[in-house]
Amino acid sequence: MRRLLLDLRRAVASPARNPRKAVVIGRLLGSAFVLCFLTGLVSHYLQHPEPWMAWTPRPEWGYQLNQGVHVTTGLLCIPLLLAKLWVVYPDLFRLPLIGGLGSVLERGSIAIFVGSTLVQLAIGVLNTYQFLPLPFYFLQVHFALSFVILGSLALHIAVKLPIISRYWRRPADGDEGALEVPEQVPEPAIAAPPGRGVTGRAMAFIDATPAPPAKVSRRGLLAGVGLSAAALLMLTVGQTLTPLDPLNLFAPRKKGTGPQGLLVNRTSAQAGVADAATDAAWALTVTNGERTIALTRAQLLALPQIDAALPIACVEGWSQTATWRGVRLRELVGLVDADPGAELEIRSLERKGAYKTTRMAAEYVRDDETMVALAVNGEPLHLEHGYPARILAPGRPGVLQTKWLDTIEVRA
Amino acid sequence: MRAIRIVLGLVGAATIGGGGLLLLSTQRPDQLLGFVLWLIGAILVHDGILAPIVLGVGLLLRRAGRRIPWAILGMVQAALIVGAVLTLVVAPEIYAQSRSPGNPTVLVGDYAARLVGLWAVLGVLVTVAAAGYLLRRRRRRPEGAPA
Repeated sequence: MRRLLLDLRRAVASPARNPRKAVVIGRLLGSAFVLCFLTGLVSHYLQHPEPWMAWTPRPEWGYQLNQGVHVTTGLLCIPLLLAKLWVVYPDLFRLPLIGGLGSVLERGSIAIFVGSTLVQLAIGVLNTYQFLPLPFYFLQVHFALSFVILGSLALHIAVKLPIISRYWRRPADGDEGALEVPEQVPEPAIAAPPGRGVTGRAMAFIDATPAPPAKVSRRGLLAGVGLSAAALLMLTVGQTLTPLDPLNLFAPRKKGTGPQGLLVNRTSAQAGVADAATDAAWALTVTNGERTIALTRAQLLALPQIDAALPIACVEGWSQTATWRGVRLRELVGLVDADPGAELEIRSLERKGAYKTTRMAAEYVRDDETMVALAVNGEPLHLEHGYPARILAPGRPGVLQTKWLDTIEVRA
Repeated sequence: MRAIRIVLGLVGAATIGGGGLLLLSTQRPDQLLGFVLWLIGAILVHDGILAPIVLGVGLLLRRAGRRIPWAILGMVQAALIVGAVLTLVVAPEIYAQSRSPGNPTVLVGDYAARLVGLWAVLGVLVTVAAAGYLLRRRRRRPEGAPA
């Protein structure tokens, strides 16, 4: 076993696998984790605010930016994480494999860190594909794992702080250090007769393989990470960043796709609303305590209309701006004498679904451009975009832009 | 430094614990089991499949170092990394697309063809760069000198 571990360490040795590179890649990856975590928290608490929280509808591109950063940094974590694991891979075969409580704790915490990160990135990417064959709930696990990962990052930094501070700057003598080598072990330990057994033959092959110049090996690592991160960024970020739309080859979403040239998050079939939404007897109910009014689509269209260019920005990282037309929400709830500081409970015709009912805080209701939209880009709303009427407010996550409106209730 | 390490370590451990409690309180036992299997599976897939493949390809590249200049191998390596990372991200996308999603505005691209195209472009780029490198090197060295 000991011999095998030593052989493995020797097999994976490389001049680019050193503490300095672990620090260089590690701080990039760590920064990406923190950025991803913070933008994730913003998105989570925009959708599930605590009672004491207050958000602002402006800038209207705020959520678009937040989710663009969240999904993009998450994607960039993939090459960074793989590079980081590549650099420290020899440590997997460290001697002794397991020794003492300290070593169990360290290996265990690293396993949790690595496993959680791999799962987090995988399910995050799958969610953007709207493909979740998971044996657990995506949303809660993604949220809980973000704390496990950030805590593991803090613990990891605490454990490795001496190495991190030593190799934070490029060492003046150019010595980038070596991964920890167990003491009392001459390398290679005992010279094995070459070419005997599978391990022996493999090691003979490896030993006979020329080693690249250290410079090539180290530069190659950084070039590979940098180029793959750049390629990933450039070829996907067009799903939210319009100037890069022509380069959007691999993102799951493409701007301009769908009815009326506009992307759809949840279809009318998925929501099961087609019949209710196209019912000729449909009317929007607006309630404030005892006062209730019901407005048909024709009556809504007869009210003063406003126009606003607002983005639909989805939690999955895509966004698209369109010109919406409809009734200013503040004026609509004014018809039932709503208090300007009141929040609303908005219900969709959907029978089920996590976002069938949404709460809208007073800041959003007061905004001049928050509306019950009836038309988009000069055409009546398509069923997939929320016909007969939908909510549109600046700066809110797409899932809260309730489609197929049923009722709006003023909460005291 | 000692104090920072202790505080950071304790905060970290507490945060991990908080995340763990969140998991325990939101998932059913069978979901927790599924999650643990994913966790172990992810580590096994990386350490047991991905990493050895990368190691093997790296060894083959180094092996070629006897005949091919290291600079060219570096270009090949960079192209392989770019192609592999994109493939890792796009392959599940192609699979998800084959399961015909219920939403016609998601996964609309011809990702498989584009991925093949990407590999072709990488191949062309490496060939051009390597040719440029060899030409420059030949010009710099007199005729007949050892490479």
